[in-house]
Amino acid sequence: MAIKEVQTTCAYCASGCQIGMVVDTDRNQILEAKALDGRTNRGKLCLKGYYGWDYLNDPQILTKRIQKPMIRKNGKNSRLEEVEWDEAIRFVAEHLNKIKEQYGPDAIMGTASARGPGNEAGYLMQKFMRACVGTNNIDHCARVCHAASVVGCQASIGEGAMSLGVPEIEDASVIFNIGYNAATSHPIVAARIVKAKQKGCKIICIDPRVTETARIADVHLQLKGGTNLALTNAIAHVIIEENLIDQEFIANNTKNFEEYKKVIETYTPEYSADICGVDADDIKKAARIYANSRHSVILWGMGITQFRQGVSVVESCCNLAMMTGNFGRRSTGVGPVRGQNNVQGTCDMGDLPNQYPGYQNVTDPEVRKKFEEAWGVKLSDQIGVQLTRVPELVLKEKDPNKQIHAYYIFGEDPIQSDPHGQEIRQAIASVDFVIVQDCFHNRTSAYADVILPSTAWGEHEGVYTSCDRGFQRVRKCIEPTGDVKTDCEIICLVSTAMGYPMSYEKTEDIWNEMIDLCPKFTGATYEKMDLYGGVQWPCYSKDLSDKGTPYLHKGGKFAHPDGKGVFIGVDYEEVYEKEGEEYPFSLSTVREVGHYSVRTMTGNCRMLRSLEDEPGWVEVNVEDCKELNLKKGELVWVTSKRGHCMTRCLPTERVAKGSIYMTYQWWIGACNELTIGQLDMQSKTPEYKYCACRIEKIEDQEWAKKYVDANYKAIRMEMGIDIRKKEG
Amino acid sequence: MNHFVKGNPDLCIGCRTCLISCVIAHEGKRIFEIDPDGFDFNPKLHMVKTKKISVPVQCKHCEDPACMAACPNGCITIKDHAVSLDTSKCIGCKSCMEACPFGAIDMVTVMGEKNSDGSERIIANKCDLCAKVPGGPACVRTCPTDALCLVEEEDMEAKIENRRKEAARSLDTTKEF
Repeated sequence: MAIKEVQTTCAYCASGCQIGMVVDTDRNQILEAKALDGRTNRGKLCLKGYYGWDYLNDPQILTKRIQKPMIRKNGKNSRLEEVEWDEAIRFVAEHLNKIKEQYGPDAIMGTASARGPGNEAGYLMQKFMRACVGTNNIDHCARVCHAASVVGCQASIGEGAMSLGVPEIEDASVIFNIGYNAATSHPIVAARIVKAKQKGCKIICIDPRVTETARIADVHLQLKGGTNLALTNAIAHVIIEENLIDQEFIANNTKNFEEYKKVIETYTPEYSADICGVDADDIKKAARIYANSRHSVILWGMGITQFRQGVSVVESCCNLAMMTGNFGRRSTGVGPVRGQNNVQGTCDMGDLPNQYPGYQNVTDPEVRKKFEEAWGVKLSDQIGVQLTRVPELVLKEKDPNKQIHAYYIFGEDPIQSDPHGQEIRQAIASVDFVIVQDCFHNRTSAYADVILPSTAWGEHEGVYTSCDRGFQRVRKCIEPTGDVKTDCEIICLVSTAMGYPMSYEKTEDIWNEMIDLCPKFTGATYEKMDLYGGVQWPCYSKDLSDKGTPYLHKGGKFAHPDGKGVFIGVDYEEVYEKEGEEYPFSLSTVREVGHYSVRTMTGNCRMLRSLEDEPGWVEVNVEDCKELNLKKGELVWVTSKRGHCMTRCLPTERVAKGSIYMTYQWWIGACNELTIGQLDMQSKTPEYKYCACRIEKIEDQEWAKKYVDANYKAIRMEMGIDIRKKEG
Repeated sequence: MNHFVKGNPDLCIGCRTCLISCVIAHEGKRIFEIDPDGFDFNPKLHMVKTKKISVPVQCKHCEDPACMAACPNGCITIKDHAVSLDTSKCIGCKSCMEACPFGAIDMVTVMGEKNSDGSERIIANKCDLCAKVPGGPACVRTCPTDALCLVEEEDMEAKIENRRKEAARSLDTTKEF
């Protein structure tokens, strides 16, 4: 048996853990994952890191690897047939060119993938959409998670990423943790928070649930969902009122403070305490703890971004850090902790409708000229479409010339991940031509006119960006099976067939083209990543002495042309859909620690599936359970105005009365049947964290169990698993 | 004195990596190459979450185990500083489960094994401190926050000694230690 160990970066959350994959090369089989001493993970892994590679064995638990290109030769109603690559690529090119000719390039929408493919594929996808198709209609799942962080931080401090690095969290004196449940989204970041606490750090936790961080917090503000801005404004009010501000920092490094103060005036702790359902004294306590430290760190997750005022709360967090001078030194600043392994990277690569790679605006003529020269074509100066606007542009837009007619969905599963399930299904079914490029059959692939099978994490090379701007190498561990290609190769083939030739020998060639176009990334060569284990951007020079930037805004110099941070004050507004008589519970969508994203990977890992499986859970306060006569594990219906789904009841004291929580990984207990498609107007991020629902008891539990089993079986069959063969 | 694995709720984040590593330690790595429905998933420790506590609970490996006294078939013995359960002799009577004051024993079905009447074989399941696993308890080794530790006799002695010192300090009025 020939054994090799390959060092790579974990495929799951954006903690950026380094793993040693032990591979039996004779059998092309992974044997185990070892925790390596990476910059962020220091010899630790969580359950997904240790056991989440099993999908490479294709055990066909939830879905199945795609082994061959497939097309619908005779239109929407014909069946998907396996074909050779030449035919599939030709089919894609002909259809896209035809749509482009008829409706123009802006009728075509594309996504990049924040998951397995990596930065090189992300770069190529936006280059394809911009240079070959001729549109800025390129986006990815950051839109549905941290887009508000990118928009808000760019407006406030000029850079839409964590200003500090993960290791610095451990040395903070105060962690201001808002809408962020590290224990389930980034266990390895949670380890830093726990460690910080052990070292004497004070923790302020703002969360409507008793999360693991809330449990060890010095102050837990268990606010009512959707009231973040009222609370952060009140904290700012106390800091200003009690003169805990850093006047020198504000004067030298920021602007707009006086205008901002006027907005904050209203938000006395007593005023906000009423809105948020917390104690005014606790607001004061939190404000004092935060402001009285020179090493205060703010961490947030989707608990602030997935609300209609996501951008404003992000800006509000930046305000707190600016007014207390908590920027520009180690263990200070703000941490929008990005969720998926490469969602930071996919933003870095310009898979955004308004920015080229390296956060360079498509509306800036000089920048555009640079990219036009490099890519040899004229580029669009119009900001493209955000992916959450697809339903509107398909279903509601009446002018055919403004509609989306083709959707190239690369490494995403919008049917599962996007809000308001019924609407997104209707929208995707109504798009003339849908391309799905993925390693697994998923819920969206059922709607595809073409399926292009790609390699998965573990089968290709590349670079991911961790949540703290860390470029790290991803390496091939095993040979792929089936007639699959790397995402980079597929995109090049499609582009070439459409008349814009692209070809690269290796991922490093793509990387080198990219870094030369992006000043912030220019110095981050493969050589340095290999040498130093990774490089945190910005890294301007290729000289080996430039090792990147552990924390941003050094000396309080912000990433705006004048170097000044901007105070932005906004008034609190209520959520879109409040609970009422018919739908008395508020639903928020959250995460299951052992599962990831739309579950095509972790749902096909034996251990992770055994720990948690369909139809998931709905967390309900114990008193509510008593009133509804519900027990642990009982199957229930959860219903909103938009749909319903079946899941299991989990009575818990950790959630407040009247609020319920579901994780979006489940296909049967699919909470996106219930969620609302309303968006934050600035970032176009949906309000996943608040909609009105009701819970219904099911008297016949035997019937309900059969319903779940039958549905699971039906899903597996739809996903191409030969159930009879598997069970026989 | 017997050893035991102790969880620290101040460090635990409730992620349950320990539960999976426990299963793999006892089922073997072959688990990744067999039928996805062809193995038992019976962790020998249990994640407990109350409003304010998250921590795994497992056998304390008592010095005078109530489970051992309750077992009518002599399955439970003390061996190599651990309370050991010989599952081959277990008749599934549940006496040990009833007797354990910590809820550390549960009853589980064994895949592919039947009782004499053809019904599914059900046996007791408890922590064995990874007796046959190189490197010791898997849960301790894989915990991402170091929330679990193996407590051995020397650790306990050192801890007791420290506590005595603390107690002595509290009696001393000059505070000069």
